Amino acid sequence: MKRLLLTNVMIVLMLVLTACGGAPAAPTEAMQATSAPAEPATEAPAAEGEPIRVGSTLSLTGPLAATGAIHKIVGEIFVEQLNAEGGLLGRPVEWILLDDESVPDKAAALYERLITEENVDLIIGPYGSGNITAAMQVAERYNMVFIHHTGSLTYAYTYKWHFPMWYTGLDTHKTTPDLLFDALDSTGTPPKTIGFVVNQFPGTMFMARGREGDGGAINVAKEHGYEVVLDVDFPFGTTDLSAIAAQVRDADPDFLYVSGLGVDGNTLITAMNALNYQPRGLFVQWPAPGPLAEAGEGAFSVTLFEAHEPYLSKSGAAELNEEFGKRATAAGMSYPVLDVQGAVSWATWQTLTAAVEATGGLEQEAIANWLLTNKVETIIGEMTFDPNNQNYGPDLQSIKQVQDGQWVVIYPAEFAAEGSSIVYSPCGTQVETC
Amino acid sequence: MQLFGQALISGLLLGSLYGTIAIGLTLTWGMLKVINLSHFSFAILAGYITYQLSITTGMNPFLTMLVTIPMFFLVGVLLQWFIEIFHIDEFMSLLVTFGLFIILESVMRWFWTADHRFIPSALNPYLGVSLWVGPFALPIPQLASFLAAVLISVLTMYILHRTYAGKALRALAQDREIAGAFGVNYRRSAMMLSGMAGAYAAIAGAFISMIYGVTPTAAIEWLPVIFAVVILGGLANAFGAFAAGLIIGVTDHVTSAVADAGIASLVTFVILILALLLKPEGLFARRVAE
Repeated sequence: MKRLLLTNVMIVLMLVLTACGGAPAAPTEAMQATSAPAEPATEAPAAEGEPIRVGSTLSLTGPLAATGAIHKIVGEIFVEQLNAEGGLLGRPVEWILLDDESVPDKAAALYERLITEENVDLIIGPYGSGNITAAMQVAERYNMVFIHHTGSLTYAYTYKWHFPMWYTGLDTHKTTPDLLFDALDSTGTPPKTIGFVVNQFPGTMFMARGREGDGGAINVAKEHGYEVVLDVDFPFGTTDLSAIAAQVRDADPDFLYVSGLGVDGNTLITAMNALNYQPRGLFVQWPAPGPLAEAGEGAFSVTLFEAHEPYLSKSGAAELNEEFGKRATAAGMSYPVLDVQGAVSWATWQTLTAAVEATGGLEQEAIANWLLTNKVETIIGEMTFDPNNQNYGPDLQSIKQVQDGQWVVIYPAEFAAEGSSIVYSPCGTQVETC
Repeated sequence: MQLFGQALISGLLLGSLYGTIAIGLTLTWGMLKVINLSHFSFAILAGYITYQLSITTGMNPFLTMLVTIPMFFLVGVLLQWFIEIFHIDEFMSLLVTFGLFIILESVMRWFWTADHRFIPSALNPYLGVSLWVGPFALPIPQLASFLAAVLISVLTMYILHRTYAGKALRALAQDREIAGAFGVNYRRSAMMLSGMAGAYAAIAGAFISMIYGVTPTAAIEWLPVIFAVVILGGLANAFGAFAAGLIIGVTDHVTSAVADAGIASLVTFVILILALLLKPEGLFARRVAE
């Protein structure tokens, strides 16, 4: 009897697991307009007919889930607004969203399923370089247009119909650090020495070390005349950086470049604080914005959008920022502010729908050719895709800094928040004795 | 030299946290034949409760243990009751607690979202503050974690070797039927031990929350290294788990500081393999036989 009961309990456990986690059976989301958008600009004819099915995965569970949740909220807002304003080609849009569990192999398998079993009409990319790289191979196999949010391994993306919205240019491993060091040089007191702490994650390794000796922040720093006094790696997933912090303190660089992601910056700051050591300047490649804003006053990073002017002047940006803030707060997110992740996600949807509307259909080749020969105005700027440059355009990034607990763009000047400018001195707070 | 010394200290301090988590796991595995994967989830859940109590009541994170320790003692007791009721054997315990592990991860994600949760610095005043011994820094939360680990291992050894309940548990671990014939109540003893393991998870969780913050997936990050600690220390050996935690923590940090952080795990697991080849029962197994 008890054995039977145990078996039943096990079955219930599995059912609960299926409901909570990465169940392969049913789509995680299939959403259409369930409520009106915040405030539709004008009354639009109702979308009607068979829905256009857009398929994608996001990391709704696993280590990338915190950022995946941002993309999910933004996608939901976009689809709701789109349907409320008449849909796409007059038809409602249905977003088939699956959970890739932050696992690239899983993402690839799910894109295969979206295309072959769910019979989606269009796809957009998942979140995260690893997942994007895996999913892109599936898109290429089925000749599907693949617009993706956040891929950073630019050299690896050779598919003729991939369209990158992480608009950093093909040579981001050169242009990104160059932009940062230009910003530091612009202070008139640039660092003389620099240290590198590098997460062994593919994207962060590429940004720091480049590829086959070409580019990378370390080489670019040398070109700017900085002396590299520390260069240390740590494995992805490391939770304790005490030993690295001791090395940073010993090297004592004028500027510390952390080619890390998520909370790597916070973990290192905590460990350095315990040693009573504060770096005089700190850059973190792709930080979790909320935690670093709280603990990393003065820290630098890169961005394509922040919730201030001139970015909020882009069409729909202020409304999106407000709506995102409401939903992110309701979802319990620790940083309910639209930033680069959400904006890039919005731009992805804008680009896809613009191409479909322009071509008047769902034919993949027509959509791809239109994107390769036209410009798309998005929330993060004007997108062009150069087939001679692996579909990359120019690098639109700017440098942001935590000032008074908020992220603000400080360089270049045309994107800087009003009244903000770069705060950095190689002397730190000891200006008199420097 | 200062770098080496600091790495040694930080390795010892981190290793003690490994030990705190591992002691609970090794006791239930070695003495109750329950491979409790949900032990990691209990620790992270306790970390979330530490976080929640701190931000909602302003309670000092150290004081939150007054709530979480009894709470997770009860959780441990209930888990063992469940295992007893359904006659779950060693292998089945792995499957059942794996299910619980996944369920708890989903519950934590549902309640606290996937965001990394840190106790705000205003409520966590010891974070980043150190006691200085010459040129060497001993961060206060890590130092407290070390002292807690010492206390836990000494207390556990005392209970197991100097009290009737502990001796009964050791007898049960060796031969349940014979011990039962001498009047030892297995169920009560096992629940007490499982409750102790739950309490240790709560202590570890409070320190994880204070030092590193928590995410729903944090449990999986601790799993490989803690299993290495348990195996290296020898099953059912609290002192062994504590000592093995220190060995692995020091190996990891010293390798990171003087060689390359990228090979720290490699060095750690090479040491583990060598130790198992030379002493497959665990480095400190002799103490169990005493």
